[in-house]
Amino acid sequence: MTGVVKRVGYAVGLPAVLFAAWWVSTANSDNFYVPPLRTILETFGQLWTLEKLQADVWPSLWRLAVGYAIACLVGVALGVLVGSSRTVRATLEPVLEFFRAVPPPVLVPVIMLFAGIDHTMKIVVIAVGSLWPVLLNTVEGVRAVDEVLSDTCRSYGLTGVARLRHLVLRAASPQIVAGMRQALSIAIILMVISEMTAASNGLGYTIVEAQRSFAIPEMWSGILLLGLLGFLLSMVFRFVENRALAWYHGLRRAQRGS
Amino acid sequence: MLDVRGLKKVYEGRQRQVEAVRDLTFTIESGDLVCLVGPSGCGKTTLLKCMSGLLAPTAGEVRLDGVPVTGPPPGMAVVFQEYGRSLFPWMNVRDNVELPLKQKKVAKAERRRLVDEALAAVGLADAHTAYPWQLSGGMQQRVAIARAVAYQPKVLLMDEPFAAVDAQTRADLEDLIRDLWRKLGVTVLFVTHDIDEAVYLGQKVIILSSSPTVVREQLTIDLPDERDQLHTRALPRFTELRGHVYEQIQAAKRGAGTVDEAVCAAEGADDKAVVGS
Ligand SMILES: Nc1ncnc2c1ncn2[C@@H]1O[C@H](COP(=O)(O)OP(=O)(O)OP(=O)(O)O)[C@@H](O)[C@H]1O
Ligand SMILES: [Mg+2]
Repeated sequence: MTGVVKRVGYAVGLPAVLFAAWWVSTANSDNFYVPPLRTILETFGQLWTLEKLQADVWPSLWRLAVGYAIACLVGVALGVLVGSSRTVRATLEPVLEFFRAVPPPVLVPVIMLFAGIDHTMKIVVIAVGSLWPVLLNTVEGVRAVDEVLSDTCRSYGLTGVARLRHLVLRAASPQIVAGMRQALSIAIILMVISEMTAASNGLGYTIVEAQRSFAIPEMWSGILLLGLLGFLLSMVFRFVENRALAWYHGLRRAQRGS
Repeated sequence: MLDVRGLKKVYEGRQRQVEAVRDLTFTIESGDLVCLVGPSGCGKTTLLKCMSGLLAPTAGEVRLDGVPVTGPPPGMAVVFQEYGRSLFPWMNVRDNVELPLKQKKVAKAERRRLVDEALAAVGLADAHTAYPWQLSGGMQQRVAIARAVAYQPKVLLMDEPFAAVDAQTRADLEDLIRDLWRKLGVTVLFVTHDIDEAVYLGQKVIILSSSPTVVREQLTIDLPDERDQLHTRALPRFTELRGHVYEQIQAAKRGAGTVDEAVCAAEGADDKAVVGS
């Protein structure tokens, strides 16, 4: 019981302090660009009505979901292919490293040329930009599959799909998940950026529009909502990860303990 | 029948070549229980991998019932020396034992029975839901043995499977292997460092030389089939046999004895006129 209280205390403590500091330091602010937190929160309540959420947050979120899902699926599939073959890896790896080194936001204008400025463009931007960490981490994970486990599978006739399902994907899952975590933050950034350049709705669009029309409290409340969303998504991610990789965390603890 | 003919394996490294085994020829009859002993690093694991079709030999061949082994043959189970790395850390004990059976398309009820029996036989009846990394080394090794046993193989290859278990469990497992062998009629090849164990378990003991590795001697163990830890180990014949194997291994380690002498010794063994008589 006290353990739970303690953990909640640690989790909530610093955010509460920061929030209080923001509140106090801006309480009497007459700087136009830094309105009091109270004003921002009032605006937050007025601005983010159910209709507004539906009109601007929902489109952002589903584009994020579709783009991210594509990145994960394609990244894992390609990663398994590349990781399983030494020759494919040797030929592709330098190219892949190059693509990873290109900062994803520069993709926006390029992809606009091909895919226009509608939903497709934004989904493609999110998918292409967040693909690389998933892909490269999967390659690493597949490559590092333990040799003894691999021999065990072969000698018990676990080949093909069974091998992929019970050995390769499971063994690589810690790296795959690490790649997906990086990809998620990139995907959120790209969601916003793609809406800032060309869009008629979305969270990023709302924030830029507010800024352009000097609706400063609205702008801040948009940023606040974006922060909350990112936080929520990473909590969900952590929850799923803790379930899927429970064995891995246990294994690591056991190895460290001995 | 498991036939090894002129087997040679050279590992090709970047700069250096390692000749793990030079020239091995021997035959294991169907239903035989053969122990393989030899100095550390002489290529026992390499031999086992070649026999199980996991490694292609540089020269020579392995035949299982007359058919050349080019990949892992069905109906063969291997217990690896690195037991800790041969269990799936993402599956609990039960799933680890069951997975090969699923792959073999064994019906569910039958699967359940086999897994229960195998785990009970190695003394892990209450560890079904544990994960391998929650178990001690000896327990992990027993899970790997249970997995091989539940698979109901025709040929069972074991690479120092009892290295991490305590003496008492080891004795129990030795009796388990002999029991299974007598009941199921599997062909067993058992690699061990332990000379007592080799003599106690085997119907035949194959002694390898140190590198360059050849068969130093094939010794028939003429102890009664009915063996038990207390009485068999107290037999004068047991002491003689283990003394002989011990000497051979010592000689192999010293590198003493040319190939010729080893051949002589092997012939002596065939005459049954060996040790002590
Ligand atoms: N993958 C490999 N690449 C290169 N050399 C190897 C490889 N595996 C084994 N060797 C070498 O081959 C020789 C035989 O090794 P092996 O593991 O078969 O011996 P072993 O008899 O099983 O030893 P131990 O009793 O210690 O398990 C050793 O000199 C070893 O260094
Ligand atoms: Mg070995």
